[in-house]
Amino acid sequence: MQEAAKRSDDVPGAVPNLVRPAAVNDDAVRTALAQHMSRISGSRTEITSFGRKSSGFSWITYAFVARADADGDRKLILRVGPPNGLFAPYSVLPQVYALQALAGSGVPVPALVSSAQDGAEIGFPFFICEHIEGDVPAPWAASELDPDHKRAIARQFIEILASLHRIDPSATPFASLHQGGERAEVRAIAGWRASLARPTARYYPLLDWGGRWLHDNCPQPPCRTIVHGDYRIGNFIEHKGRIAAILDWELTHLGDPHEDLAWAMMPTFNARSRKLYGVLERAEVIDLYQRISGIAVSDRSLAFYEAYALYQAAAIQMCAVRAFEVDRFNDMRLAVMASQMPSIVRAFERALEAAA
Amino acid sequence: MSASFERLIDGIIDALQSHVVPNSSDDFVRGQVFSAIYALNGLKLAADWKAGPLLEQVRLQDETFAAVKRLADGMTHPEIAATPRIHGDVSDAAAIEALRDDGDRQLGQLLLWASGEGARAADRDAATEIERLLRRVICDQLKIELATTPKSMLQQIAGGDGGAA
Repeated sequence: MQEAAKRSDDVPGAVPNLVRPAAVNDDAVRTALAQHMSRISGSRTEITSFGRKSSGFSWITYAFVARADADGDRKLILRVGPPNGLFAPYSVLPQVYALQALAGSGVPVPALVSSAQDGAEIGFPFFICEHIEGDVPAPWAASELDPDHKRAIARQFIEILASLHRIDPSATPFASLHQGGERAEVRAIAGWRASLARPTARYYPLLDWGGRWLHDNCPQPPCRTIVHGDYRIGNFIEHKGRIAAILDWELTHLGDPHEDLAWAMMPTFNARSRKLYGVLERAEVIDLYQRISGIAVSDRSLAFYEAYALYQAAAIQMCAVRAFEVDRFNDMRLAVMASQMPSIVRAFERALEAAA
Repeated sequence: MSASFERLIDGIIDALQSHVVPNSSDDFVRGQVFSAIYALNGLKLAADWKAGPLLEQVRLQDETFAAVKRLADGMTHPEIAATPRIHGDVSDAAAIEALRDDGDRQLGQLLLWASGEGARAADRDAATEIERLLRRVICDQLKIELATTPKSMLQQIAGGDGGAA
């Protein structure tokens, strides 16, 4: 477990019960960030090279350099959960637990520097982690990268997933997040159904019917593992032919490992190809995953989670529509997501047919 | 859609492509601009036909209600709308959209009923046929919407890179 990270609410002098702003203002965040970094480092810290990064549809991501007399320059990443974002209200806990629990494991993650759920200083829930050098591949692009290079990355991608699923979750903080009688994977389906049933969301008959089918037919998992929840091409940093860090742990939970495998193989995240990263055949993915994870992949469970992946994608799109239309979150990308619904719902119907 | 309206949208797109995109190296800003271009293209396609596709969807729903009523004859089923639901020349897109959404809710209730144990126990063959009919028709409705959806620009929108509309 990593010990260097500090929680804002652990540190004396934190300002409690601030009135939260209605929207994230970059200048205000920068000013507050300088105060926060100065306080946790114990010396005056200046913020330079501060700017938003495009990546992510949910948390707002900033890259910056913290310049302090004591520590010199540190390139860091700040992620802020906006009050009107895609999955608001936000919790930093899944990401914080992931970065803490996986530090030093076979799953590369950025080192956590600081976090706060109450968000008193910045105004919103936030966490800060180390900047990792490298590039984030675009999942939608028909990449011009060398196929051999892509194969090597795709294989690493699966090896890391298998390593994640080998971790005993009971020895991690995730165990404390998931208690209660209902199966974790069934609870996740129920959560998306509730999200789709919100009165402001447009009603799609196939999603209502399909959500019930998923709930009633959810298979027993071969084992319950840490599930990343958004494990796909585009959610990692690659540097010099190696995957340097797996990113975006906000949907992390305990559940069926088939969920991550099915999500990773969605054609949407693989330049519309059935092959992982456009290069690795499905059979090769499954074979590699099974050998390293020691988990037998069930065709039936995989088909179920491929349907579930599309259901979840549809629910996320509806969250985006709500964030834009109802909560007035001004990111044009969210507005555009609504237009993807007809094609996703049709694909979901076909996937259900295959899973039934 | 009037020619001036179309020209206005083309002008906005041109301004964004010609002046904003080349002068921004920030990926987030470029993602915003490509998203705006995408939305404008969608508006251009949908504005002229907004009432048209909605009417087509409502008529498809009405045909389906009539077919389900025949197939479910003698079975206890959720309420089925009396058809046709639109009389005369209706052009108020908001009113037609409300009818379409109401029709979707009724189709959903019928689908849940037809695939449930009660309907299966009453008449398995009829229930199966109704379920298939409803799934097919709902997909056909989605096809109508796809016809007014511009080509995906997810790559440009997400990463703020690549070509334009």
